Amino acid sequence: MCMDQTALRLPSTMTQAEIKLCSLLLQEHFGEIVEKIGVHLIRTGSQPLRVIAHDTGTSLDQVKKALCVLVQHNLVSYQVHKRGVVEYEAQCSRVLRMLRYPRYIYTTKTLYSDTGELIVEELLLNGKLTMSAVVKKVADRLTETMEDGKTMDYAEVSNTFVRLADTHFVQRCPSVPTTENSDPGPPPPAPTLVINEKDMYLVPKLSLIGKGKRRRSSDEDAAGEPKAKRPKHTTDNKEPIPDDGIYWQANLDRFHQHFRDQAIVSAVANRMDQTSSEIVRTMLRMSEITTSSSAPFTQPLSSNEIFRSLPVGYNIAKQVLDQYLTLLADDPLQFVGKSGDSGGGMYVISILTSDFLRVRQPVLFGSRCARIFRLVLQKKHLEQKQVEDFAMIPAKEAKDMLYKMLSENFISLQEIPKTPDHAPSRTFYLYTVNILSAARMLLHRCYKSIANLIERRQFETKENKRLLEKSQRVEAIIASMQATGAEEAQLQEIEEMITAPERQQLETLKRNVNKLDASEIQVDETIFLLESYIECTMKRL
Amino acid sequence: MASRGGGRGRGRGQLTFNMEAVGIGKGDALPPPTLQPSPLFPVSLFTPFPDSHVILADYMILGSSQTIIKSLWEAEPLEFRPVPLPSGEEGEYVLALKQELRGAMRQLPYFIRPAVPKRDVERYSDKYQMSGPIDNAIDWNPDWRRLPRELKIRVRKLQKERITILLPKRPPKTSEDKEETIQKLETLEKKEEEVTSEEDEEKEEEEEKEEEEEEEYDEEEHEEETDYIMSYFDNGEDFGGDSDDNMDEAIY
Repeated sequence: MCMDQTALRLPSTMTQAEIKLCSLLLQEHFGEIVEKIGVHLIRTGSQPLRVIAHDTGTSLDQVKKALCVLVQHNLVSYQVHKRGVVEYEAQCSRVLRMLRYPRYIYTTKTLYSDTGELIVEELLLNGKLTMSAVVKKVADRLTETMEDGKTMDYAEVSNTFVRLADTHFVQRCPSVPTTENSDPGPPPPAPTLVINEKDMYLVPKLSLIGKGKRRRSSDEDAAGEPKAKRPKHTTDNKEPIPDDGIYWQANLDRFHQHFRDQAIVSAVANRMDQTSSEIVRTMLRMSEITTSSSAPFTQPLSSNEIFRSLPVGYNIAKQVLDQYLTLLADDPLQFVGKSGDSGGGMYVISILTSDFLRVRQPVLFGSRCARIFRLVLQKKHLEQKQVEDFAMIPAKEAKDMLYKMLSENFISLQEIPKTPDHAPSRTFYLYTVNILSAARMLLHRCYKSIANLIERRQFETKENKRLLEKSQRVEAIIASMQATGAEEAQLQEIEEMITAPERQQLETLKRNVNKLDASEIQVDETIFLLESYIECTMKRL
Repeated sequence: MASRGGGRGRGRGQLTFNMEAVGIGKGDALPPPTLQPSPLFPVSLFTPFPDSHVILADYMILGSSQTIIKSLWEAEPLEFRPVPLPSGEEGEYVLALKQELRGAMRQLPYFIRPAVPKRDVERYSDKYQMSGPIDNAIDWNPDWRRLPRELKIRVRKLQKERITILLPKRPPKTSEDKEETIQKLETLEKKEEEVTSEEDEEKEEEEEKEEEEEEEYDEEEHEEETDYIMSYFDNGEDFGGDSDDNMDEAIY
């Protein structure tokens, strides 16, 4: 039952597009040095410290710094090999998750309000933290935003933390095993971290008492304390922290499960009505913790159980529920499947639905192509002529679109020979869709898109760097003048330092950067759907 | 050998597959030959909004996802609009959050900036600019129990220099307490304690104390050299930007 932090020694299987995206993300969030080390590890797989320094041409100290940061943020793991050599390995897919941080944080906000939001934000920004550290930071931050005189109590933050742990949104990191003191010999070069699965969501019994502090008041404390009080101040730091060594991290898989559920519910709502989507949502909620994050199906639920678990506001009769369930099960999209009749019929939700893929087609090729694609998908194999007939699109156009999609590998040709000699004139050529490869291709394209978006945004920002700096300086001057009570006329003069065309330029820049950022977020949603789909399908095979 | 002759023999013009099966009927006009590579970015058909900035931004977004398509479209224009971007309360909030996170991460100690290259001439203002953490140490405190020991950076440089020169100046033990309390004021000292390796602690504990005292003694000297407090220093970049009409402040 122990999950070791084992690193598989596989050569890097990442595509160029993914590596490029990782590089951009690392550089944006951690700087060039970390980026260099990180990308090197992604490319070459598992390596020891000195080899990394040698191969990248970086000084040993810089490599150490970078590795500390990467390990702290769960982007790189290490393993001790024989003869005491420690090797480091990067988790490329984890790096790509950095794109999704805003989404994780926003989701927590919708579920657990501002307190939850800040907890997850602190965990993501710092990689891992102890519970007491998180509670303190969040309480301080919340206190800053409150009215004068009000403070945030640690207890409230703790409660939210416990709820997050109970619903598995945060989990414990593997920790250093407690060894007996009688262990002879030198300590190992690196600890082997372990975690027991049942401890993963166990919150330590802490009695955190305190309130958040405003930054202002702590400054006063530091200045006002005379020298005699100094030793007392230091003893505060040396006090043993009750949950020392127990670190927590955000559980990204659980968030992904949540996103998946959301997507299913909204797909059902789009296709059917509100009530059906509520039923599906209930079913999903019931199986939240019992289903592992990458299972293709939920555990079967009996309709009696579903009936009992419906949210209080929904008074539908049992028969009506059964009718809905039957309707859902009969739907060709197969969201819900019937798997047995015990307990009034067992229903299962298929996480796997290719509806996701179809949604993306119109974006790339136009809605007519989407129609053709959907058709071929549904019918599995179609001849040229059949495509034209079923889709009701003139032959020439249909041909055109089919070939376009063929060239992009969304559709492939299947040969079915009529005669053993495979003569072309006597062979059926059927169009078919290989979803898995189409999904992979689309995913690859998404990675490239985001990389392009990020680069473009950086380019835009760099082009206007001088102007941006100027406007920041002006703002700072205005702010300080306002604080010292300057007159309106003076402020006006300072503001005029930025000319009208410059202001226009800044406006345009802001608008463009916003658009690019918004696009990144959107493409990441697609990436999530595609990755989930591919993962589920692979498990099934 | 019979087929040599440049295709003028029998079977000229015959294809291996049935053209009709593919969909090209007899007498159908074939598309014109491709004489140049397809344009990097297809021309858009949809009518532009009055606001020209929007198109520019849209093009950029389209361009980013379309430039990788090696299509047979030749000069064929796009027939569709891009999917609308997420908007509304949720979209705006997530967008603002994203930008805020980006800014915040740059300020965190995890963001490692490359060392500033030495400028040609040593400038007076260099003394006042807060450069990175001393001696390549890191700004934050990881839990060293969780990390491989080799990742700890040892701070040795300053200590080595000090030992040889200032050893004779060992202050008496009684004043050590006072020195220690002054130490706490210096954040530099805290870092040195943390960063130094555990192994050395037992052996060199006394040595370390001396070194730190020497160091900190040096720091005081260093501080006395400058008459001005660091945070008040204005390196004159804003000169000329302030209003010249305000004669209340003297201009240094």
